[in-house]
Amino acid sequence: MTTRTIRKSGIRKKKKEQSEYFFDYSLLFIVLFLLGFGLIMIYSASSYEAYTEFGDAAYYLKKQAVAIVVGMAAMIVVANIPYHFWERFAVLGYVVSVILILLVKTPLGIEANGARRWIRIPGIGFQVQPAEVAKLCMILFLAVMVCKMGKSVRTMKGFFLMMAIPLPIVLLIWQVTNNMSSAIIVMAIAILMVFVASPDYKKFVIAGVGVVAAAALLVFYVINSDGSGNFRFARIRVWLDPESDAQGVGFQTLQGLYAIGSGGIWGKGLGQSMQKLNFLPEAQNDMIFSIICEELGLFGAIAIIVMFIMLIWRMMIIANNAPDLFGAMLVVGVIGHIAVQAILNIAVVTGSIPNTGISLPFISYGGSSVMFLLIEIGLVLSVARRIQLKEL
Amino acid sequence: MLTNNNKIYHRKKIMVLTIACVVMFLLLFGRLIYLMVWRADYYSQLATDLHERERSIKAARGRILDRNGTVLADNKTVCTISVIHNQIENEEEVIRVLCKELDLSEEYVRKRVEKYSSMERIKSNVDKAVGDKIREYDLAGVKVDEDYKRYYPYGELASKVLGFTGGDNQGIIGLEVVYEDYLAGEAGKILTVTDARGVEVEEAGERRREPVAGNDLYISLDRNIQTYATQLAEQAMATKEADSVSIIVMNPNNGEIYACVNVPEFDLDNPYELPEGTSDTLTAEEKQDALNRMWRNACINDTYEPGSVFKIITAAAGLEEGVVTPSSTFSCPGFIVVDDRKIRCHKVAGHGSEDFVQATMNSCNPVFITVGLRLGVDNYYKYFEQFGLKTKTGIDLPGEAGTIMHKKEDMGNVELATVSFGQSFQITAMQMITTAASIINGGNRVTPHFGLKAVDESGEVVESFTYPVQEGIVSEETSATMRSILEMVVSEGSGKNGKVEGYRVGGKTATSQTLPRGSGRYIASFIGFAPADDPQVIAIAIINNPQGVYYGGQVAAPVIRQLFENILPYLGIKEYNQ
Repeated sequence: MTTRTIRKSGIRKKKKEQSEYFFDYSLLFIVLFLLGFGLIMIYSASSYEAYTEFGDAAYYLKKQAVAIVVGMAAMIVVANIPYHFWERFAVLGYVVSVILILLVKTPLGIEANGARRWIRIPGIGFQVQPAEVAKLCMILFLAVMVCKMGKSVRTMKGFFLMMAIPLPIVLLIWQVTNNMSSAIIVMAIAILMVFVASPDYKKFVIAGVGVVAAAALLVFYVINSDGSGNFRFARIRVWLDPESDAQGVGFQTLQGLYAIGSGGIWGKGLGQSMQKLNFLPEAQNDMIFSIICEELGLFGAIAIIVMFIMLIWRMMIIANNAPDLFGAMLVVGVIGHIAVQAILNIAVVTGSIPNTGISLPFISYGGSSVMFLLIEIGLVLSVARRIQLKEL
Repeated sequence: MLTNNNKIYHRKKIMVLTIACVVMFLLLFGRLIYLMVWRADYYSQLATDLHERERSIKAARGRILDRNGTVLADNKTVCTISVIHNQIENEEEVIRVLCKELDLSEEYVRKRVEKYSSMERIKSNVDKAVGDKIREYDLAGVKVDEDYKRYYPYGELASKVLGFTGGDNQGIIGLEVVYEDYLAGEAGKILTVTDARGVEVEEAGERRREPVAGNDLYISLDRNIQTYATQLAEQAMATKEADSVSIIVMNPNNGEIYACVNVPEFDLDNPYELPEGTSDTLTAEEKQDALNRMWRNACINDTYEPGSVFKIITAAAGLEEGVVTPSSTFSCPGFIVVDDRKIRCHKVAGHGSEDFVQATMNSCNPVFITVGLRLGVDNYYKYFEQFGLKTKTGIDLPGEAGTIMHKKEDMGNVELATVSFGQSFQITAMQMITTAASIINGGNRVTPHFGLKAVDESGEVVESFTYPVQEGIVSEETSATMRSILEMVVSEGSGKNGKVEGYRVGGKTATSQTLPRGSGRYIASFIGFAPADDPQVIAIAIINNPQGVYYGGQVAAPVIRQLFENILPYLGIKEYNQ
């Protein structure tokens, strides 16, 4: 198979009609840009803490770079394998996800920052977060299911079946690894995929309104309940007024807001963040966006948001032109994953929603996350390569 | 393959999904604009408050100067040496230099140099010369901070008057406390940017607010008189093996205090050092008690029974009320019966027939009891209050003790009789000399004081202190009579040891037995003033528990005589025959 390339937009490609297949370099470059930018920001955000903690300013940078190299290799492999190859592993993936999540409770599980969410793969000392595996496997499994079910997706029964598929995984992630944010993301990916698979709008609009109403009701309930109760209630209360518990639950949110606010329009300049000097917890991880805001200002933040919009737009074009429904659904799943995670992360960092640990795709520090994201990009590229240009 | 039919709605849905995502991103974008443009100032300020650490720069404390401008309390620059672990480049070198220059054990320095902390103090109150020397090594991670330390050039001089300061240069006792607001000045600030653990961020620079130095305080004390009075007091304490000796020298016309001595004094530069011979095994509480006792200003903080010196008050009240005149005659059989009580005169055989002047010269108890009884409780109490004896003197020193006196309604003739010759109640020495001064100065109750004026760095007077004067507590006539009677006491009576060649001196002696009676402990005192016709200076000497001869006329009067012999010429008071 020869690959000839077109970098221009889809419309332009139509006119050229010079190559048989399509390789989406635009997508690749956007991803590479985000990864490179992420590395710079991880170094900037973490070097101080890394130096004081480990005596090596590049400690986090190096670990992330290794994960990216491994992830890129995996991406290239996956991009070169026709994506239908993975169809047969759908059920296996689902089962493996469940097993990996349960393994967290065994001695293989690793506890960090007070949560047991990682497992160590014996032999190579490599850590993996089962929730990241589950996200990828869920995309694959649902894509296969959508194709298998065909038109029965449109029935009520099909709809509920599709919605029921991710629930065991979601509940396991939530309850076993105590990781509500990953559970929400997996559920959101599933809902978005079912949304695309089903021609109906009404159900989703009703469900959407229902969720919003339930959320509003919960917030109302939390405001009127007394101060005690579980920590998620506290998070909601603090979200409404971060300064009410500035040293406790609201600490991270408030420190993030200090960083964002003090960045202003132009930012303090790369490397000039004050908040990264141990003030802001998880500066290189979940809260990296606030350091970007502080150092690069509103314009740096816009650049990142624009890059994500472009990334999603590119993937939309691939999904729309995918050679078959399976390919399209795979890409939709990846869109859902990246979009939901990026939107929720920025929403958390800006204090728009209650604080919960969600990383910013490609940019936040986190080996498992970036590796599985790159594998997903590999899948998207694989789908893109199957686009026959004459089809367009 | 997507069928065409399928394709259309899938594409549409994918489009809807994408647009929904873009809309969400745009909403977040709006939120960012709100946070980073509208709320930027608010959060920047909060962040700056969080990042900046305040380090205060001590203000130089104002000096205390005597009436002639001699500096009694000064500041010297000292250095605090500290190390910042993170900034040290050559640990061994730092340890070596600090050990050598500061004369500390290597173990001690090493422990601090190797400690992982934001800033570790090695030694404070280091001489400036040593601090400068360490600074010259220019060692990374070693900080030499300059600081002011209170320093008293004359050591023990007037220790209980001046007082001393604590670790933050704040006044602890004495004038240092009373004039704290004038002396303290205003601390400056260095605002430095630090990380969350408090480590300074070097490149961020710092902001400063300069400190404002405190005002200098000029006090009425005269260093020479104070020094001489201290020598006399020490001498008296040594020769009479007394517990303590107090001397106050005052200007009777305005209440300015020239000297206020309480020996033993203590070293102002080492105020926490107990006198030699104190047991080392004191508990913290016992030690604090011992320190408090050492710091007490006996003239002001303690009361005593004034004894016969107080007859000045009884005489003044009697003369003012007209129940007695200098020529009134009395007869002293050696005792007097009041109600059912027989009160003895100190001369058991009695003084026989005498007029009031002679009775005063003899310090005859029965005569003064008679005068007291003639006045009656109501009148006596009236004068007691009129002379200001019931209220505090209002001196500008902390912790002045109040008068301990019978309640008027509890006062019978016996109490009145004992009060008349200065027993059964207690006042402070400062109260005694102030009241005596007010009686002989023409009847103006003055406020004894030290503070004269506060002067700022440029020499500008910030405030001249004024003190209340109560005029007419006795008539000018009574005052003049009292002066001449008291002059007679010194020239021919019991106070003749207070006589100063060439000067007209007035005065009164006292020998009071301390409570409980019969303990054999006495307080010998003498109050004297000169020139007797126009008093310019008044002084009191109180000798606490003298051994051997304990009569005021023999123990205390010579102290005042020696004092006057020296200070009267010094004060420019001319001999009467010149």
